[in-house]
Amino acid sequence: MPRRPPSALQPAFPLLALGGRLQTPTRPLRSALLAMHHPLGASTGYMDFSRGDWAGMVERAVEVSTFAAELGALGEDELLGLVAFLEGTPRLPFHYLSVHAPTKRRRLPEPQLVALLNQLPAIVDSIVVHPDQVTAPPDWRALGRRLVIENMDPRKTLGQLPEHLAPLFAALPDAGFCLDVAHAGAVEEDMDVAHRLLDAFGARLRQLHVSSLRAGRGSHVPLYRKDEARYARVLARCPDVPWILEAPPPRR
Amino acid sequence: MDPGSAAPTPLSALGAAGGVGFPALQAARARTAQRCDVARAALARMPRDLDVAVVLLGSWGRGELTSGSDDDVLIVTTGARRPGLQPAMSELEPAFPGGATGAQGTFDDVVTVEELATIGLQEDSNRVLTRRMLVLLESAPLLGADVHRQVLARLLDAYLGGERRDRRPPRFLLNDVIRYWRTIAVDFEAKARAGDDGKWALRHAKLRTSRTMLFAGGLLPLLECHHVTADDAPAVLLGELLQPPTDRIAASFLRYEAVDAGVRTLGAYDRFLALLDDPERRAALERLVRARAREDPTFQECRRLGREIQQGLTALLFEREPLRRLVRQYGVF
Repeated sequence: MPRRPPSALQPAFPLLALGGRLQTPTRPLRSALLAMHHPLGASTGYMDFSRGDWAGMVERAVEVSTFAAELGALGEDELLGLVAFLEGTPRLPFHYLSVHAPTKRRRLPEPQLVALLNQLPAIVDSIVVHPDQVTAPPDWRALGRRLVIENMDPRKTLGQLPEHLAPLFAALPDAGFCLDVAHAGAVEEDMDVAHRLLDAFGARLRQLHVSSLRAGRGSHVPLYRKDEARYARVLARCPDVPWILEAPPPRR
Repeated sequence: MDPGSAAPTPLSALGAAGGVGFPALQAARARTAQRCDVARAALARMPRDLDVAVVLLGSWGRGELTSGSDDDVLIVTTGARRPGLQPAMSELEPAFPGGATGAQGTFDDVVTVEELATIGLQEDSNRVLTRRMLVLLESAPLLGADVHRQVLARLLDAYLGGERRDRRPPRFLLNDVIRYWRTIAVDFEAKARAGDDGKWALRHAKLRTSRTMLFAGGLLPLLECHHVTADDAPAVLLGELLQPPTDRIAASFLRYEAVDAGVRTLGAYDRFLALLDDPERRAALERLVRARAREDPTFQECRRLGREIQQGLTALLFEREPLRRLVRQYGVF
């Protein structure tokens, strides 16, 4: 039986541009695992080519999903622009919206960074933070339940294992958890760490980061087919939370 | 079962399976049980006709009493409406010193089971539909447990009497439960558009949490009829409906091996209940007008909790077999 041409594939999601009419998707999802999940969203963190153009990055995130998105202010210098963009009350379609807090080019003292993050409008559901950025947990309590701590990959000195994160969560009882599946998979090939993280912090789980990692470099790349199979049992434990793609949707 | 019973329940089993408890839900159940005991003691010497039940609705019926809960009570008889029926609502004063209340006069009257069993067409008003659904989906007996059970059985018979197909969710009842859920949602918006903005934020928060849970708690037992014959369906449904909605939902998460999602879903509901039990935050919600909701932290917290509850229930219904197929087959058309 001949394969259907790509043009005959149905778009995976209804598409909604910020302005104007519905557009045709640029990248319909071909991964059955991703296409079956709801809600799914894109992180603007992988959109290096549009850095600083928040409206443009949101448009690209909308092309992946109108339901969820993560706005990545990974460099501290990007955060002010993001705050200003959101204070302009853009008409965003997302039901779930997270912001990735800065991890690079940090200059502000921690209390000031927290204060700036706390200025993010209430439509931001989660503020994802790397554990190595939290040196004074009491300062971060101001973010309340919006604070979400992410597990780390092996390149960091800490933050990969449940025992690394437990003291942080003990100090921040309202904080949520973001499971970065690729990070956990880089710690142990068999995904045991991911299961242990879910065992320990599953009740706090707010979202996933889903991607593969480029071998040796640790950068996020579109989900490999082999990782789909490797992650499957972990993902099956998380059917109810948004999955945020940290790389473009796979085109295979 | 008493809505506040301390016996092991699907809710406590889910909490244990997830390694967490649901402290606000468990505290609310304990409070409900204690208040039921007090209310029964206050009414111990009051005469009651043998065909009458004093039925608790709302948060009483769900076993979810918080500090700000209304006293929602309905007097139901399996007999005829008549003068001198005992007890009258006014005689419940010793049990509910503030007076039993309810929005739009929904809960402040006597009703016969035959009036409740008037399903569809012109006689089935919004008020009748609301009372029938609340009795079916979130009621518990304060007095007359046997009559309450007969009322549920009679209502189920009214729905299921013509259904003789095995292993199929009963369409008549399923459609009415869905109709009720959509009616709540439409009426919520209609009230807001009519300028009835009082308590808008609290109503919105409840729509996304306790009303959503109520609907799911009615939908899931109906889908369970997929597993049984038409002869067994009434008893199965009666057994389910005698449990609080959170137990029905927790049991489904356990049954379909969705413990992780279930812990998060009931956990979000637990947080909402704790929020409602905080007089300051509840009062802030009651005062909040729609125009200020976008930037209000308490409202936004309720919105997030409501989203988490909906996501969890959606995952249960759409990502677990056979529920996924059942919703596809029966949930839309």
